[in-house]
Amino acid sequence: MTAETSVSYEALQAQANSITDLFKGRGFELVAPAYLQPADLFLDRMGEAIRGRTYVFTDLDGAELCLRPDVTLPACRVYLERHPKGDVEARYCYNGPAFRYQPGGGDAMRPREFRQAGIEHIGGGDRELSEAEVTGLVVEAVKAAGLKDFNLRIGDLGLFEALIQALDIPERWRLRLRHFFWRPPVFRDLLNQLATSPAGSLGEVEAALIITLDPSDISASEALVSAHLEKAGVPLDGDRSLSEITERLLGRSADMETPPLSAGTVKLIEEYLAVSGSPRASLFLISEMTGAAGLDLGTALQAANARLDQFEEHSLGLDEIVFNSEFGRDLEYYTGHVFQIEIPGEGRSGQIAGGGRYDDLLQSLGAPKPVPAVGSAIHTERLLAAVQGGAI
Amino acid sequence: MSSDPLILALPSKGRLMERASEMFESAGMQVRKTGHERGYRGEIVGKPDVEIAFLSASEITQQLKLGRVHAGITGEDLIRESGQEDAMRIDIVRPLGFGNADVVVAVPACWLDVSKMSDIEEVAAIFFREHGRRLRVATKYLNLTRRFFSSKGVTGYRIVESLGATEGTVAAGTAEIIVDITSTGTTLKANHLQILDDGLILKSQAVLAKSKTALWSQHNQDVIEEIALRLQPSV
Repeated sequence: MTAETSVSYEALQAQANSITDLFKGRGFELVAPAYLQPADLFLDRMGEAIRGRTYVFTDLDGAELCLRPDVTLPACRVYLERHPKGDVEARYCYNGPAFRYQPGGGDAMRPREFRQAGIEHIGGGDRELSEAEVTGLVVEAVKAAGLKDFNLRIGDLGLFEALIQALDIPERWRLRLRHFFWRPPVFRDLLNQLATSPAGSLGEVEAALIITLDPSDISASEALVSAHLEKAGVPLDGDRSLSEITERLLGRSADMETPPLSAGTVKLIEEYLAVSGSPRASLFLISEMTGAAGLDLGTALQAANARLDQFEEHSLGLDEIVFNSEFGRDLEYYTGHVFQIEIPGEGRSGQIAGGGRYDDLLQSLGAPKPVPAVGSAIHTERLLAAVQGGAI
Repeated sequence: MSSDPLILALPSKGRLMERASEMFESAGMQVRKTGHERGYRGEIVGKPDVEIAFLSASEITQQLKLGRVHAGITGEDLIRESGQEDAMRIDIVRPLGFGNADVVVAVPACWLDVSKMSDIEEVAAIFFREHGRRLRVATKYLNLTRRFFSSKGVTGYRIVESLGATEGTVAAGTAEIIVDITSTGTTLKANHLQILDDGLILKSQAVLAKSKTALWSQHNQDVIEEIALRLQPSV
């Protein structure tokens, strides 16, 4: 698309104005984060997968910049510029373009240049209240724009975290399970490996060295690894310290001694990830299955239930919400509640809005401590198309 | 316009150029420059309907993609790198049996705990926590690297583009991992790098390739087929 027609431009503008008016009316300050962003910030936080979809370029000073693929991170930078200590509660809203590469140049439902209208609630103390407020307001916004038939899908990454925490397994396995949670096919392989041969297959040199290490004496182990490298004439290149390398070798050594993940645990994880349905019933099911396994999910289940209470108080009808324990697995910066407004049967282009809690992002951008945050963005072209019945 | 000549691009320098012209010689097709000695145009003696363009291997890939040359000899690695796998604008006609090299993933030899791609993903997670940044992969193969890493479920890295001496980037401290081409592995070893067990991305060699975007007359189709048949892969 070289240019949009003035009709659709005006329609989008009108829609955007009423959405931002609604947000502003609820106390969200309108901000206009920069379109041009340092590429590093996105690439370091979201990994190479996002780079494949981001317009990255070098300017005349050699600085690597990108056209923002998303507005949440730029909005967080606005917050940190104003409140470097991350100690202030703020409500921001925005409406502006974001840019993502689409194979073949994109089309009307997958434009490479699209507008996001969104809100971010940063530093809010009452977690469930903040989640319900953001979710509720975005639902209200798409309804006010005229969207009638849609699903609200929710998930909770905090529950999975609590489940992993409650399992009686080594911490290094938790790290791996958590990390690979975002990559479902690899996650499955990892579960298989932990359930059969936790140490996996070792290289010859690795295996010979591992046998000599003493897990109870870390500095002696480091000395052995160092001597091994010196003898082989291999310098310590690559920015990982001797202790980082040794620690992982010791982990492998411990894995050889650790009994595999029990079939029951594997089954529990798989059953957990398959939970889907009405929110209350889903939480009940999770509480039953973890209870039967003697696991305590701590406050995570209570929080999930409290969130649903808040939803009801924000007039979000629970009977219209679908809970999916697996939902959110492809959205890497979220840490807890996640949600999406979607038109059933439309696939990606039916994803009208999405959002969730992202408690780690601000600290990774330079805040001195974790700053709680919840946000959401509406894909305005898709919303308009959906409201107009697909005609844009 | 059947009278338009077939434009065939051949490597203009290095081993690829030598081997390509040898191959044409032994097929009884003598390639020579036309005009200026240092120019970049040529012909096959006795074949007025073929025009030779001498270009660098990467330029050949680019020109094939854009359809500015009909066919050419270049590295398979460069072709696979040139676009999305499912939307390739270049057809490989046949492998030529020279210019063999592997595109591989290599990590510092001191990373004794890393032998597989899945190790990289795990190390990447720990590295991000400890150092606050992603592992850097130096390469000129941006697309091949992205596709391969993603097929292995590895995402916690970022690419730093390297246009030369990639094998030196780790010692220089500008990257932790490299994706590069190697034929014997000696250079990698000398730079204290080890290839991952499952780190072979592509076994590449020189190929005769055809542009899918160029305008093809029936006559030129016949000419390239005849040339392809006459070129004997070296063993």
